[in-house]
Amino acid sequence: MPSSTATPASSPKSSDRAPAPAVELRAVSKRFYFYEHRTSSLREWFIRRVLRRPIHVGHTAFSLRDVSLRVEPGESVALLGHNGSGKSTVLRLVAGIYRPTAGDITTSGRITAVIELGAGFHPELTGAENIRLYGAVLGLTRRELQGHYDEIVEFAQMRDFLDTPLKYYSSGMEARLAFSVAVCLEPAILLLDEVLAVGDREFRERCLERLRAFHARGGTLMLVSHELEQVRDLCSRGVWLRDGAVVMDGDIDAVLDAYRGQR
Amino acid sequence: MVNAASGRVYQVWRFRELLRGLVVRNLKVKYQRSLLGFVWTLVNPLLTVTILVVVFSHVVRIRVPDYWAFLLSGYFVWNFTLQTLTTGTWIFAEHSRLTRSVAFPSEILVFSAAGSRLLEFVAEISLVLLVLVLVHHHGVPASYAMLPVLILIQLVIAIGLSLPIATLSVFYHDVYHALPIALTSLFYLSPVFYPASMVPASARMVYFLNPVAGLLTLYQDVLYGGQWPSPTLFGATAAQAAIVYAIGYAVFHRYASVFAEVV
Repeated sequence: MPSSTATPASSPKSSDRAPAPAVELRAVSKRFYFYEHRTSSLREWFIRRVLRRPIHVGHTAFSLRDVSLRVEPGESVALLGHNGSGKSTVLRLVAGIYRPTAGDITTSGRITAVIELGAGFHPELTGAENIRLYGAVLGLTRRELQGHYDEIVEFAQMRDFLDTPLKYYSSGMEARLAFSVAVCLEPAILLLDEVLAVGDREFRERCLERLRAFHARGGTLMLVSHELEQVRDLCSRGVWLRDGAVVMDGDIDAVLDAYRGQR
Repeated sequence: MVNAASGRVYQVWRFRELLRGLVVRNLKVKYQRSLLGFVWTLVNPLLTVTILVVVFSHVVRIRVPDYWAFLLSGYFVWNFTLQTLTTGTWIFAEHSRLTRSVAFPSEILVFSAAGSRLLEFVAEISLVLLVLVLVHHHGVPASYAMLPVLILIQLVIAIGLSLPIATLSVFYHDVYHALPIALTSLFYLSPVFYPASMVPASARMVYFLNPVAGLLTLYQDVLYGGQWPSPTLFGATAAQAAIVYAIGYAVFHRYASVFAEVV
């Protein structure tokens, strides 16, 4: 196991007191069961029952094997690796969407996870209604959301479309709205899964700006992205995953160089 | 065990804004751009009630005075149960994106389906009450004070049945085929268009194992009869509701943690 202590000393809050880690995974494994009976029928169920063949599980595969990772408050960590290497699984485990098969995970502070942009958006609702619903999806009360509402609208630059049903939005506009809600909520920990490629260049630039500001204020960031230059710009630490195990963990430049060399 | 349960209740409470948002969304999406709106919701049950009145007072004679009033007292309750269960089967498939990308207590989806249906039911039953008070009773029977408690029992039964059915439908699509058949059987085996008193006394014990039978009889005693229901029936039905809910929730809870991996 590569150790995960190669933390740059630049995290702004690390000198306050010995803080609890923002995110800690201890020997976490995640095994997926492929539920092959998902669309199967009762007939088959009976046959399998009678023949004593397994009903529920086709086969299993490890998505993560014995991963340990400690992220301090204020760190910005990029998860690198090919498709299927377990990056998104890490984010989903941290967000609490999946439960680990083994090991345990602790987090401190409110987490906003943007795994799919606009999950919970409804095409028939207006932009304004969708902002409220998405805020609720992310676990905010009405009052909390109200405090951020103007900022969200401002950031998305879509005041003129607030009363338009979402189905008339272009996909870029929809993504912009979703992203604006997510970044304006100021969670302690922000998890982003390949969602930085939204909107036009100008909007993307503002997003990056916003994320840098979030980081500068001491927010913890974990992101998955295939845009390596963007990653270098935003993150100070890289974690390279292959086949569900950590290959390398350390300074972003070193990890990026090694990752590029290996590809 | 108690700890886990109270933790779950807290989770749901934390996401109350999402529950509210989903209930409002369901109704908005259903009624917007519809000139007649709520009228359509009434047309279907009223048509069925009319047909039942014609058939069972002129063809097959069921000797109940003011038969139409008897039918109205139970039919909308039946309709609520039917529709809550039917929506429930689709609810997790419909919100698969949400379940896969956000950590939230997924029973909220079932609650929201029942919740928006409940608001419609309250509107329907208010109209029924109005008609019964004006035409059938010529006054307000004191027993109508029972109504909020009956509605609560009805909600608990509907959610208690809906949770395991919705859970099962995540794994077995047979539920989509089986449920309409089951509901048709339940319609004939519940006292919707005939009073439970017509069931032979020897079979009544078995007959009332169906919690919907007790529920409908309570409604008919209160709304149609204008009497206080028998304490035995009331206690038994309330107990049944609690048992149905406990079992239903246990089934749901057993599998809920893997929904994000399966839907």
